[in-house]
Amino acid sequence: MKLQEFQRVLRQAFLVPILTLLALAGILLWQIAATQKAQRWLDHSDEISGEIAELESLIIDQETGLRGYELTGDATMLVPFYSAAQPIQGHFAQLRRQIADDPVKLRDLERISTRYETWLSFAQAILSSPANFTNRNLNRHGGELMYAVRDAVRQMARAEDQSRQQWLKHTISQERREIVVLLSGTALVGLMLSFFSLSRLHKVSGAYRQSLFLLEKRGEKLRTILRSIGDAVIVCQADGSIEFMNPVAEDLTGWKEEEAAGRALAEIFRIVNEETNEPAENPVEKVRRLKKVIGLANHTALIARDGVRRIIDDSAAPILSQDGQMTGIVLVFRDVTEKRRAEAALAVSEKLAVAGRLAASIAHEIHNPLDSIGNLHYLLAQEKDAARRDEYLKMAQQELDRTLQISRSLLSLYREPNAPVEVNLGELLSSVLLLLRRRLDHQGTVVTQQNKDNIVIEGFPAELRQVFTNLILNAAEAAGRPGKILIQISRSVGNDSRAPGVTVEIYDSGAGISPQVASKLFQPFFTTKGSQGTGLGLWISLGIVQKHGGSIHIGNSDLPEYTGACVQVYLPARTLATAQSRSTPYVG
Amino acid sequence: MEKSAPFTVLCVDDEVLGLQIRKALLEHAGFAVITALNGQEALALFQSKNHSIQIVLLDYLMPGMNGGEVALKLRALDPEVPILMHTACVDLPDEVRGLVDDVLSKGEGPQALLHRMQQVLEASQLAAKRGK
Repeated sequence: MKLQEFQRVLRQAFLVPILTLLALAGILLWQIAATQKAQRWLDHSDEISGEIAELESLIIDQETGLRGYELTGDATMLVPFYSAAQPIQGHFAQLRRQIADDPVKLRDLERISTRYETWLSFAQAILSSPANFTNRNLNRHGGELMYAVRDAVRQMARAEDQSRQQWLKHTISQERREIVVLLSGTALVGLMLSFFSLSRLHKVSGAYRQSLFLLEKRGEKLRTILRSIGDAVIVCQADGSIEFMNPVAEDLTGWKEEEAAGRALAEIFRIVNEETNEPAENPVEKVRRLKKVIGLANHTALIARDGVRRIIDDSAAPILSQDGQMTGIVLVFRDVTEKRRAEAALAVSEKLAVAGRLAASIAHEIHNPLDSIGNLHYLLAQEKDAARRDEYLKMAQQELDRTLQISRSLLSLYREPNAPVEVNLGELLSSVLLLLRRRLDHQGTVVTQQNKDNIVIEGFPAELRQVFTNLILNAAEAAGRPGKILIQISRSVGNDSRAPGVTVEIYDSGAGISPQVASKLFQPFFTTKGSQGTGLGLWISLGIVQKHGGSIHIGNSDLPEYTGACVQVYLPARTLATAQSRSTPYVG
Repeated sequence: MEKSAPFTVLCVDDEVLGLQIRKALLEHAGFAVITALNGQEALALFQSKNHSIQIVLLDYLMPGMNGGEVALKLRALDPEVPILMHTACVDLPDEVRGLVDDVLSKGEGPQALLHRMQQVLEASQLAAKRGK
C-alpha cells in the first residue's frame, strides 16, 4: 500500500464516522423537534381547555349571582354578576386569539358567545324590572338560555378534549417513534461504522501484512545471498557481538551460527600473526577506531575452535546508518592456505623453470671443458714427451677448475642459508652473467656491467641470483638481436621512505614497454613470451625483492644508447627478512 | 690417416683453451689445423685459403655469429666443403642440422670425433668422384 493510499484510508476512517454521526444527530434533532411540536399542541389544548373551564365557571357565577338576587332581592348578590362580566369578555378575547387558526373551534366559540349574549340580554332585561323576578316563565326561559350556553360550552370543551386526546395520542406515538428512530439509528450507524472500520482496518492490515511479508522476503533473500557467498561472512553488532555467520564462516571458525550468536567476535574469530603467533588486532576495534573499510594485516592466521590454523585474507567494513552512526560491522574473509601453498609450489616450479632455462647453458658450459679433458686424456695416453705431458696435465687442471666453478655456482642456486648473509652484489651479478654468458652470446647480446660502488648488502644470494637471472634474461629478450644490456650498480642514499641500500639498474636497447604491459608485469602468469615463459618470473622476483625489504620499478630508459626499458631494483643494505618467509617454499 | 697428404681442417670455437687442445689432438691425428675464434675470422680464413681447406669443424654457440650462420655463409662460398657441427648445444635447430654434413655432440670423446671426421671426409670424396 502506498503512503497516499494509506492517508486516504486514514481520512476515510476519520470523516465517515463523523459524517454518519452528524446525519444521525440531524435525524434525532428532527425527531425531537417533532415531539416538542406535539407537546406544544398538547399544552395549547390544555390552555384552551383551561380558558373554557374558567369561562364556564364565570358564566355560572353570573347566573348564580343573578338567581340569588332574584330570590333574595339582595343587591349584593349581583356582585359576581357584574364583576364577572369583564373577565368573561377577556376570556372570550383570549380564546378567540388562541383558536384563531381553527375555524371549527371558532364556530363553536361564536355559538357560545351568541348564546351567552342572548342570555345576558335576557338577564339584563330581568334586572331592569323587579317584577320579572317572580315570573316563573321568565325564570324557566332564563334557565333554558343558560342551559344552551352551558351546553355549547360543554360541547366545545368536549371537542377540545377530543382534540387534546388526539394530540396526546400523537405525542405518545411521536415519542415512541423517536425512541425507535434513536435505537434503530444508533444500531444501524453503529453497525455501519463497525463494518466500515473493519473493512478499513482490513485494508490497512492487509497492506501491512503484505509489506511485512515483502520485508520478510527481502530479509530472507539477503540472508540467502549472504549464505550463498563463497567467502566467509560474519556480521557483528556495533558492540562486537555476533549477529550472523554464513556457512563458510561456520566452517572456518568451527562455530555454528546459533552457538556464536551474541558472543563477542574475539571469542569466535581468533586471529594471530602467521609468523609470530602474537594475537592480531581485533577488526571490530580497528574499524571502530578508523571508521572505514580495513584489510587485515598480511600474514594473518585464523585459529578455529578445534585449533586448526588457516591463513586468511580478510576485510572488515563498518555498517553505517543513514545518519552516519556505526550500527555494526561486516567481516569478509577467505581461507588462503591452499592459495599460499599453490603460490609456494609455483615459486618452486618457477625456480625449476629458471634452472631449466639455464640447462642448455649449463650443459654447454660443462660439456666444453669435459670435451677438452677427454681430448687431453687421449693425447696423454699417446704422448711420450714429458714436457708435452706436463702441459696437457696443466690444461686438464684448468678445465677441471672451470667445471668445478660452474658446478659450484649451480649449487648455490639451490643451496640457501637460513639467515641472510653478506652479499657482494657486483660479484653476484658477475657470477650470474657467467652462467648466462653462453646464452647471451648466442642471442648476440652484449652486456656491460658497471659497478659504480663496491656494495655489500645482507640477503639471500640464491634468491637474488634467481631475480637477476630473470631480469637479465628478460632484458636480453627485450633487447632483441643484436642487443645491448647495461647493468649499473650504485649506492642508494636513504630517505624518509627507504633505508640506505643499493640500486641495480638494468637497461636494454629494445623498444621499451607500453603502460598497458607495465601495469600487468608483476601479475602471476602474465607473459609476453607466449608458450616460452611461465609468466611467473617477475611475480616471483618481486616477491623475493619485497622479502628483502626492497622494490622493483619498471619504466623506460632515459639513456640515449639504451632505448628500451629500465628495470630498477632497490635493495636495502640490511634486510629485515627471515628465512621462514613467503618465498621459501612450503609444500605440505 | 695418410701422413703424406694431410687434410687441412678449419676448427672454429670461441673457447681458447678448448680450441688449443683440439688443435693438439687433431695435429696428433695427422691433420693440418687452422683455428678461428669466431665466425668472421673463420669466413675470412676460409676465403683466403681457398680450396685448401678440406673440412670445417664448427662450434654452434658463439658470440656474434653462431655456427648456423657461419655454415650458411660457408655454403655460399663453397657448397661442397664438408662441415661437421661439433657442439655442446642440446637443442640444435633442424635447419642447421640440414645445412651441415654431420652433427657431433661435445663430450663424446676424441675417438668419436676423429671417426666422424673420417666418415664425413670419405663421404665427400666419394661424392666428388661421382661428380667427376
